[in-house]
Amino acid sequence: MELLDRYLDAIKKHLPWKRQDDIVAELRANLEAQLDDKETELGRKLNDVEMEAWLKQIGSPIQVAARYQRQQYLIGPVLFPTYSYILRLVLSWVTVIYVVASVATIAAQGSGVEAFAGLSLVHVALRLPWIWLINAAITTFIFAAVERVSARYPSKVSPLQPVTAPWSPLDLEPVDTGDGDWAKPWSFAKALAEIIFGYVFFAWLLLVPHYPYLMFGPGAWYLASLPYKLAHAWWPFYWWVVVINGFELAWKTVDFASGGAWQKRKVWRNWAMHPLSLIPLGILLTAPGQALFLAKTAAANDAALAQANKGLHTALIIVVAVVVLQLLWNATKMGVEAYRKRVAA
Amino acid sequence: MTLTENLFENLRMELRRGCLTLAVLAQLKQEHYGYTLRKALAGRGMEIDESTLYPLLRRLETQGLLTSEWREEEKRNKRFYRLSSEGEEIFTRLLGEWNAINTAIGNLL
Repeated sequence: MELLDRYLDAIKKHLPWKRQDDIVAELRANLEAQLDDKETELGRKLNDVEMEAWLKQIGSPIQVAARYQRQQYLIGPVLFPTYSYILRLVLSWVTVIYVVASVATIAAQGSGVEAFAGLSLVHVALRLPWIWLINAAITTFIFAAVERVSARYPSKVSPLQPVTAPWSPLDLEPVDTGDGDWAKPWSFAKALAEIIFGYVFFAWLLLVPHYPYLMFGPGAWYLASLPYKLAHAWWPFYWWVVVINGFELAWKTVDFASGGAWQKRKVWRNWAMHPLSLIPLGILLTAPGQALFLAKTAAANDAALAQANKGLHTALIIVVAVVVLQLLWNATKMGVEAYRKRVAA
Repeated sequence: MTLTENLFENLRMELRRGCLTLAVLAQLKQEHYGYTLRKALAGRGMEIDESTLYPLLRRLETQGLLTSEWREEEKRNKRFYRLSSEGEEIFTRLLGEWNAINTAIGNLL
């Protein structure tokens, strides 16, 4: 009996405190009745070894007590799909907001390109797992609290339902082939129009330096009257834009002329052009003194110009960060899709 | 335990889980306390561990399917359970489901 008392006492410690006496009393009555049966069958009392074996067979005190808990999970099957969806949304948005805010903060501190690519960025990356952990914990805590309240007060809280917005199969997105719009067949007329407009745009691009009003309209004369001029960095920037556009146009023309290639726009052409766009942006970003506009005269070299250059530099950093993030996002999506296809195969 | 045995055991437990509730409700048309209920079920071929049955009784009572009362029997206080009116209604419906599943499986085999 002493072992049974110890066993029940150990179970009691793990039971909900409000019901523990009642549960233990019932368990005692059931186990004692079972013990009586065993002893009647044997014609003697169980010895310690037999008693130990019997109690071990019933289960450890923690396991037995756990069965009496009303809720044995944090988030149940009804809420879990919503929790999983919300968690992914939260982590995605937290990452975007955190990265953009961190990059903007670094840029605003004016520590320049070296700091952006250096220790500050490493610090931002190292903190990211903690940000994920904290936000995942908060989201989990909220859902677990909802689940617990619902389980604890079933009469006061309406039963949980899966959170689903009204939907119709007609509203669903078209099937994503992994290549987006780029995989759609491209008609002859569209391919031809794209090339013609491409050449017109290219010609316009070449003419802009000589005839600024083609870009700014009447504003070109107003800009010319300002006491500021473009920094030298704009010229390599401009020529890189010209080279990249010329390259893409030549590529499209070759595709078109090679017969049939225009029917499917090349995914990898898009992939090649996207990283190239970082080159001209990088040129502006590394402009000497971070100055994209210079004063025509010493008198015009004022605080407003310095402020404008600083603001433009910050904006450029954010643009570069967004482009890099987009590249990483696309590369991750492609990697995941390739992995999924490989596993499925 | 091999992977196949482990898988079988998990599926077996899953299959039994719903059946246990039905068996307990069926047996509690007559009043029982925990141990005699366990013996009665075992006598009809439905063995249930103590650590599964006793908490299950509590859960079914909380859900309103069983009623219980403490009463002295053979100089011991015991908690006796029986089917509530709501439990009887639910049991009848569950039995209908059980029979439908049984028939369907029978047709499939």
